[in-house]
Amino acid sequence: MADLVFAGKKLGWFFNYQLAKLLNYQIACRCNSLARGTQRCSKGVFGARANACYTSPFPLMLKAAAPRYAILLAALLLTVQCLAQQEAASPWQAPADDLVQQVLSRAGSPGAINLTFANLSSLSSADQSAIKQVIMTGFRNAGVRLVKADFALAEVEITFSEDWQNYVWVAEIKQGPGSQVVVKKVPHPQKATLARAPLMAIKRSLIWQQDTSILDFYSDGQNLLILEPSQLSIYGNDSGKWRGKQTLAISHERPWARDPRGRLELNGFQLSVFLPGTLCTGTTTPPSLQCRASDDPWQIDPPSSLAAFFSPTRNFFTGVLAGRNAGESVPPFFSATAMQNGNSRQAVFAGTDGRARVFLNDVTTAAIVVNDWGSNLTAVHSSCGTGWQILATAPGDLNRADSLQAFEAEDHQEMAVSSTLDFSGPIIALWPGENPQTAHAVVQSLITGKFEAWSMMVLCN
Amino acid sequence: MIAAILLLVAMANPSTRPHYGSTARILLQHKINSLDPLLESDYPGDRDKLTQLVFETLTEIDAQGHLRPALASSWQQEAGQRIWQFQLRLASFQDGTVVTSATVAASLRSASLDWKINVLNRQAFTIESPVPSPHLPELLSLPKFAIVKRLPDATLIGTGPYKVTQWQPGEHALFAANDDYWGGRPYPDAIEVQMAASLREHLLERNLGRDHAAQLGIDQLRTLEQTTQNVAVSRPAELLVILFLPDRGNRKAVDPRIREAIADAINRSAISNTLLQKKATSATALLPQWLTGYEFLFADKMNPEQAHKLRTAVGTVAPVTLAYDFSDPVSKMVAERIAVDAHEAGIVVQPFGDTHVNTKSGRKSSTADAVLLKLPLRSLDPSAALAGIADDLDLSPDLSSAILSAGRPDDLFVAERKTLEDSRVIPVAHVSQALWLSSAVHNWQQLANGDWNLDQVWVEGK
Repeated sequence: MADLVFAGKKLGWFFNYQLAKLLNYQIACRCNSLARGTQRCSKGVFGARANACYTSPFPLMLKAAAPRYAILLAALLLTVQCLAQQEAASPWQAPADDLVQQVLSRAGSPGAINLTFANLSSLSSADQSAIKQVIMTGFRNAGVRLVKADFALAEVEITFSEDWQNYVWVAEIKQGPGSQVVVKKVPHPQKATLARAPLMAIKRSLIWQQDTSILDFYSDGQNLLILEPSQLSIYGNDSGKWRGKQTLAISHERPWARDPRGRLELNGFQLSVFLPGTLCTGTTTPPSLQCRASDDPWQIDPPSSLAAFFSPTRNFFTGVLAGRNAGESVPPFFSATAMQNGNSRQAVFAGTDGRARVFLNDVTTAAIVVNDWGSNLTAVHSSCGTGWQILATAPGDLNRADSLQAFEAEDHQEMAVSSTLDFSGPIIALWPGENPQTAHAVVQSLITGKFEAWSMMVLCN
Repeated sequence: MIAAILLLVAMANPSTRPHYGSTARILLQHKINSLDPLLESDYPGDRDKLTQLVFETLTEIDAQGHLRPALASSWQQEAGQRIWQFQLRLASFQDGTVVTSATVAASLRSASLDWKINVLNRQAFTIESPVPSPHLPELLSLPKFAIVKRLPDATLIGTGPYKVTQWQPGEHALFAANDDYWGGRPYPDAIEVQMAASLREHLLERNLGRDHAAQLGIDQLRTLEQTTQNVAVSRPAELLVILFLPDRGNRKAVDPRIREAIADAINRSAISNTLLQKKATSATALLPQWLTGYEFLFADKMNPEQAHKLRTAVGTVAPVTLAYDFSDPVSKMVAERIAVDAHEAGIVVQPFGDTHVNTKSGRKSSTADAVLLKLPLRSLDPSAALAGIADDLDLSPDLSSAILSAGRPDDLFVAERKTLEDSRVIPVAHVSQALWLSSAVHNWQQLANGDWNLDQVWVEGK
């Protein structure tokens, strides 16, 4: 069944579920088909009488109804449909069905059981009610009557428990002198987060996530390239889903540093991969990649011709610049960006000493020193403010969730021009994106442990 | 004065991406005499914190409890989960030799006599276990199965991120960064470990800026928690458990009814909440509720009347001697409280401090009827954690097999219930572990079970 569609967008089960909770509706049973006109429901929406009630077939209802009730009926239909859809898309349905099946399998499908519930978890009372209903319905659909203990062939007590990662539903089945236990782990459903109202807004899109480390990535909608420490993975867009096309190995002489860094640069079909002490070049079509030991400077931000030498055995740039600033140097840095605004050029370096230095036009003396940024920064072009914003991470260790904020230079200060955008883990890479309007961030989620590739841009409020 | 000095320590620069260099200095509470993962240790949890710097396992359990590759890059099961095939990654021992299936097989054979290990080629091998082992990859993450190359002169070589450069058993150790580590050279140049160190003494006697991390006892925690210090407290993970010892020579095992009576008499809630200052939870099973979600099924059956009845039914009862680790004040407090609870049921429990109660060999020579043990929760995977506890408790082969072959959480619950049903093993409390961290240390990850993940650790300063 499709998710609720609102303003042309699928809002998914979460919206539906929250809507149902807000309306305090309890959905008990499955809506098989509105088209066939059979609607089974529980108390709550249609009254408080029975656990299961049946509406008449809808065509008959519509014929019998007076025209003045048509609007009311239509509204009712919409509500029923929404609620039926939310039930079908409930995150609890599948685990509840599985638990019921496991209990029946252990208990030998008794015809009548006494079913009780207990809660030791952080589930809300609304969620508990919803799950209980789904489980009770599951038993009834399996032909099991729910009866008082005196009439039951088995007693089933279901406890909603929890471990540190999941909900744990435990069913104790008592039949005669014996008892059995079924333990079912149920992942926490993901919850939607609300965006804050920003001055400027940093818009982000999750491009990809995987278990293994990501250093950089590139996506043009048709192809997705994921740079990992030991390979470059190429994916193609197959009807909206990324499918693996090719994996190109990255050879290197020495083990990477503990905090491996890498930069992926595409120019048409031409590929350049910058890694510590290693440079790989190749093409996307046909896919090929050749790597060699190299101390060539990394192209940090090609449009602004910012290039610098990276330490072959560490995780930072040495401070010696190349390209347009060849021969010049700044203190060692973790990340850098440069912006050209008319005749004015601004270069920003996030130093290994925890200070970000902003240089105007040349790199001899820092015009602004910022002490409270993290070690990753880059710049994006937008139609807001001065046209260029620096995106900087927050200071913090890798065992804490990170955030990103947009800044602009004003009166010898870097002023925040957006609210912070929170991520579920540290931002371990932040590079320019496919064009000046985008930036790429790689986040290691502290919740899932996965590496997430995010694309970001700045929008005006 | 301590608080003032600590405040100075707390003032530091905002942290950034990791920095290389410096020496991380750690204070350990206990004395570790050997790094050999196969030798028994009085403090296995502390020992494992050090061995992981030097030795690696084939797999690992990450901070979220997920199984991850370590020295093995991949694995697959065959023959109904009895045979598992592993593929090794390209890695080197710290003496420069390459890690091969032959060296890995030799290491695993010395760790488990039950396994048949078959070398397929230089990088692949199989492990065949006598019973289906659905969680064998998880079990291989236990420190006991660390891959160690043993030289004829008894030198141990590992593949880990640090090399041992100084080792004074029970006192001091220095580990230097392994530049050729396959996972990348660690950030600190070295890690220095001072053993049997008291944080309080260090705060008073030493230059405070020197130390980066120090283990704390629960009894030391209250003072520091009242300051602005960075104190990390794990989930209640260590298991305080009574183990009744079997018949030995002229020493007869304690009557099962008396064991059950003691289990009924213990006021776990008072132990966790009052004695251990709420840094512990009552243990009614071997694995904590937060790890399995099913510990509640083992109800806390504190029942002094039932305890009294059982004791009366036995008739004359000799005093029960209960040994605890003489160097652990927490164990002493808890043992004395157990004696008080037992006394109310009419049972005389005589606690006494002893050495080596935490080792199997030490217990064999013990004169006690029972021992109060503090066992580490060795894994964030329930199957591996229970297997680790079974090994520590030296459970019967039947029980160990039941744990190894438990595929689902339900099976694990059944195996755990079977372990506890004759009251030879009486869980008392799950206890948190605490750690003081200097503000100059970054990315120190204390896992939920109190283990340390130092992969990303770096320290400020020269």
